Formats: sequence, C-alpha cells, structure tokens
Amino acid sequence: MIGEWKDPRKEFGRAVGELAEQDERIVVLSADSGKSAGFGEFAKKHPDRYFEFGIMEQGVTGIASGLATTGKIPVFCAIAPFVTCRNYEMFRNDLGYMRQNVKIVGRNGGFTYSDLGTTHHSLEDYAIMRMIPGVVVLAPQDPTEIRSAAKAMLEHEGPVYMRIGGPKIPVLFEDRPFEIGKGAVLQEGGDVTVVTTGYIASVVMDAVRKVEKEGVSVELIGMPTVWPADRELILRAAAKTGRVVTVEEHYEVGGLGSIVSEVCGEGCPVPVKRIGLPLAYCTTGPYDQLCANYHLDAEGIARSILKFVR
Amino acid sequence: MERIRYLEWKAARCRRNVVRMVEASHHGHLGGALSCIDVVTALYFDKMKVDPKQPRMETRDRFLLSAGHKCMAQYAVLAERGYFPKEVLDTYGQLGSPLPGHPDMHKLPGIEANTGALGHGMSIAAGIALGCRSQGLPSNVYVVTGDGELPEGSNWEAASAASYYRLDHLTVFVDNNGLQISGGVRDVMDMSPIAGRFGAFGWATAEIDGNDMSQIVGVLDRLPLESGKPSLVLMHTVKGKGLSFAENQVSCHFWSPGEEELKRAVAETDAAVDRLEQEAGR
Repeated sequence: MIGEWKDPRKEFGRAVGELAEQDERIVVLSADSGKSAGFGEFAKKHPDRYFEFGIMEQGVTGIASGLATTGKIPVFCAIAPFVTCRNYEMFRNDLGYMRQNVKIVGRNGGFTYSDLGTTHHSLEDYAIMRMIPGVVVLAPQDPTEIRSAAKAMLEHEGPVYMRIGGPKIPVLFEDRPFEIGKGAVLQEGGDVTVVTTGYIASVVMDAVRKVEKEGVSVELIGMPTVWPADRELILRAAAKTGRVVTVEEHYEVGGLGSIVSEVCGEGCPVPVKRIGLPLAYCTTGPYDQLCANYHLDAEGIARSILKFVR
Repeated sequence: MERIRYLEWKAARCRRNVVRMVEASHHGHLGGALSCIDVVTALYFDKMKVDPKQPRMETRDRFLLSAGHKCMAQYAVLAERGYFPKEVLDTYGQLGSPLPGHPDMHKLPGIEANTGALGHGMSIAAGIALGCRSQGLPSNVYVVTGDGELPEGSNWEAASAASYYRLDHLTVFVDNNGLQISGGVRDVMDMSPIAGRFGAFGWATAEIDGNDMSQIVGVLDRLPLESGKPSLVLMHTVKGKGLSFAENQVSCHFWSPGEEELKRAVAETDAAVDRLEQEAGR
C-alpha cells in the first residue's frame, strides 16, 4: 500500500525467496550475513540451497563465481562495503571479467549504518561497481521496486550489484515491471530536472514538494538503474528544462551525479548540480541527524535545489 | 612402466611446446610453467575425464591454474591434448591472441577461470566443487597453486570453506619450487610447513617429488587422500625444470632469452623428446 513503511532487507529476502521457489538454480550465499539480509526463512526451507561461509567476503565472491560456472545463480547479500570494497578484485576478475551470473547485494548502503561508523558506510559503491565492465548497478527506490528489481536482477544474465538500505522506507509506487537500464519520469515539470536513485527517493519527493511551493516547476526522474545509464531519458529532460540536479546518498563524484554530468556534457551541455556527500570520511551519528548534517534531508535538498535555480 | 614412460614423453613434448611459445613472443613466465608441467600433463593425459572436442561437457573434471602466470604449461598441455591446433601456440603474447599471459576462459577452450591475480583459484574451485556436488555431477576439481601465492589470505578463506563443506573431490597441488620473483619463497614469506598448515585447516595431505612422474601417478591413484576431506598435494619441484641453464634460477621466473639461449632451449627440449621416443621405440 502506498505510504506504508517497510523493511527493505525483509522485502528483498522475501522477494528472492519467492522467486527461488520458481527457479531451482537460485542459491543464497551468506558471510554470516544471510539472516540479516532477510533469508532466515529461506535458510530453513532450503538448507541445500543456502550456503553459510562465515565472514569471508573475498572467498565467497570467488566461490559464487565457481558455483555460477555449474549453472547456479548465486545471490550474495551482506553489508555494502564488504561486498564491494573488501572483495573488489574478486568482483572485477571472478565475476566481471569471467562474466558470471552472480548477484551481489549490498545492504545498509550509503550511510544508513549511520552511528556504527565510517567503516560500515558505503558511499562509493555506485562509482566503483560501474567501473567493472559488464556489471549492472541497481538502486531500487522503494519496497515495491526492491521486489521488482530483485526479479529483474535474477532474470538478467550476468553480474549485477544492487544496493538497498537498512531503515524502513515508504512504499512510493504501484507494482510495475522493472526494466534494467530504464528510468522513469515521476513528475513532469519545466524549470529544472531533478534526477535521483535509491532509497533516498522518498526524501527527494518531499524536497521537490517544498521546491514547488516556492513556485519552481520540477521534472522529477527516478533512476533505479544507476548503470548502464538511461541516456535518452537524461538528455530529453536536460533539453526540456535546461538544468539538472542529481540527488543521491553517495559521494558527489563517481555516482549518479557524475553519470548525469557525463551524459549531459556529451549530449546536451547544461548546468548540472550534484547533491551528495563530499569526498571525505563522513561523520557518524543518528541517521536523521546525519542526513541533516550533510543537507540530505528534505529541507537541505530543497535549499540546494532552490539555490541552484535562483 | 609404460604408463609412466608415456606421460614422461608427453610432458617432454609439452616442455617443447612451452619453448615454442617463447620462440613466438621472446618472453614468458617460464620457470613456474616448467616446474608444474609434469602434474598438468598427468592430469590431462591420465587422470581427468575430459573431451577436447567437448570442452564444456557438463560432467567433465575441471582444472584451474590458480597461479595463472604459469599458463604456458596449461596452453602447452591443452594443445598437446588436442583442444586447439598447435599453430595457435605461435600466437602467444601477440595482439588479440587467445593465449594471453594469464588465461582467459572466453578466449580458449579448456580454460575454466580467468586467473592471474593470485589467490583466486582455490575459491573459484571450491565453488565449482560445491556446485558440481549440488548438481549431482561426478566431476572432480583440480587446482595448481604456486608456493609464492600462498600468503594471499583468500587462499585460506577457500581452505576453510573446502574443509567445512567436506569437498573431497577437490585437490590442490602446491607447486613448491621454492623461488619467486624476489628470491627464495622462504626468505620472502615463509609459509612452511605448507602441508602442516593445510592439515590444520582440515585437509588430507601428501608430499611428493612433483617432477617425478611415478610419484605423481602414485598420488593421483590415491585421490581422494581421505574420504570427506579435500586433498592437498605438496609437490617439491624445480623451477625451470628441463632446461639445464634455467633450473633453480630466479631469473627464469619471467624469461626474456637472447637468441643463443633460446636456441639452446629448443635443442635441449627437442633432445629430451627424441631420447624418450628412441627409448620407447616410438
């Protein structure tokens, strides 16, 4: 139901569990991470398809590659930095270079593990994952999209990285098919385009409402596929409004902001404002306070958009 | 005895194939290729259920060269076994060759993994072994690692997992030639006792002379060394084995020979093949 708040990890685990009922090739790998990724039920129901390895993300990434060569579709979900940074070379060579049909899911992405500390933040995952040729990078924006993205991810042949968050997020969308590589216009407008991705979308929608109250008409685009970019959609919106803002819980460099800048720079040079995190080790604290501190709450995002357009 | 002689002859022909690749490119990771080539030969010609005409046959046994830089050994054996024409060996190191300096599964039939970054092979192999068992496939999985790559922590992650999952159809051969690019392995980072460490991780272990075909065949016939445990075969080998001037020389780790040295390598490997053929009346 629209507006209902749901746990993204449970939604993800449940979605994969349901899809696995239809497809026996799907196996779940855990680095002491499966149950907190919502796979508790799956582990009980399918002990022969649930592999626990303890905390060894590099090893599990290689093992996933090997399993995939035998026709399995391994799904490996753990805390985002440990399945992106920690195992990066295994991701690059064993999954990317070997073109393996493995699905890696980073949970508690961005700085949703707010007060736990910077080691547990993941603010570069979009950037480093899209640097591995052939890897699809997904960041679904609400619980409904988590479910549809999980389905698309499992149907896609090849390595996929998907980032989900941790805290509950509201349902924003009715169920609809998820097409990898395609974004969607969430709201039409004429003065400025705002492009966002991931679970911050609901906050961005709040921010856009605030901006519109100030008399600025916003074209809002949701981009649940970070990479490969939906160039056509970006260029069409850039041409329409003449200026673009990107919002993401990620470093300003390397992620959605960079992607949109690259696309616009080549195809429709317009001013682009990137809203995200500065390239620094970010501080810690309660999640809502952290968002406010980095101007990534609705008020902060609205202020940044208004400053850019005025 | 005929079995041993046959494999020695094949290994000699494979050593000649290695030199042929260096003739084409004038460089290559020679030393490690020659130290491990006897076991690679024995696996492909004596042990593994493989079909060069169906390199992706589902029930095949799998071989992974974790020490991907030793790929000239695998290329030499795959060519000898009929996976691809020997003329392809002459493209080694050339632009767009299916024989890059570290193997690529999408370029050459018979390659199971894109190794080269060290410490990856055992994890991938453990995954293959787990997947084959889960699929009900009869496949065995064999890996050659270098002794110099053992400090990579990912090896020990894989070693734990293979033991925990009782992957007794997985065998790892450590090519213990004792030398790496900076010098003696035990001086660079001493991982001894190698067999003892694997034993402590729950593996069954054996030690052999890895350049003695009768010992290689002897251990292959005993696999798995122990039911319910992955097998570790510590092979004491000689870097550069088969070339008199290269044996036990760090300088042959990556070899860029001059013309004279190359001629000598051709002559020595040719002579080894000739001698074995004469002895066997081939």
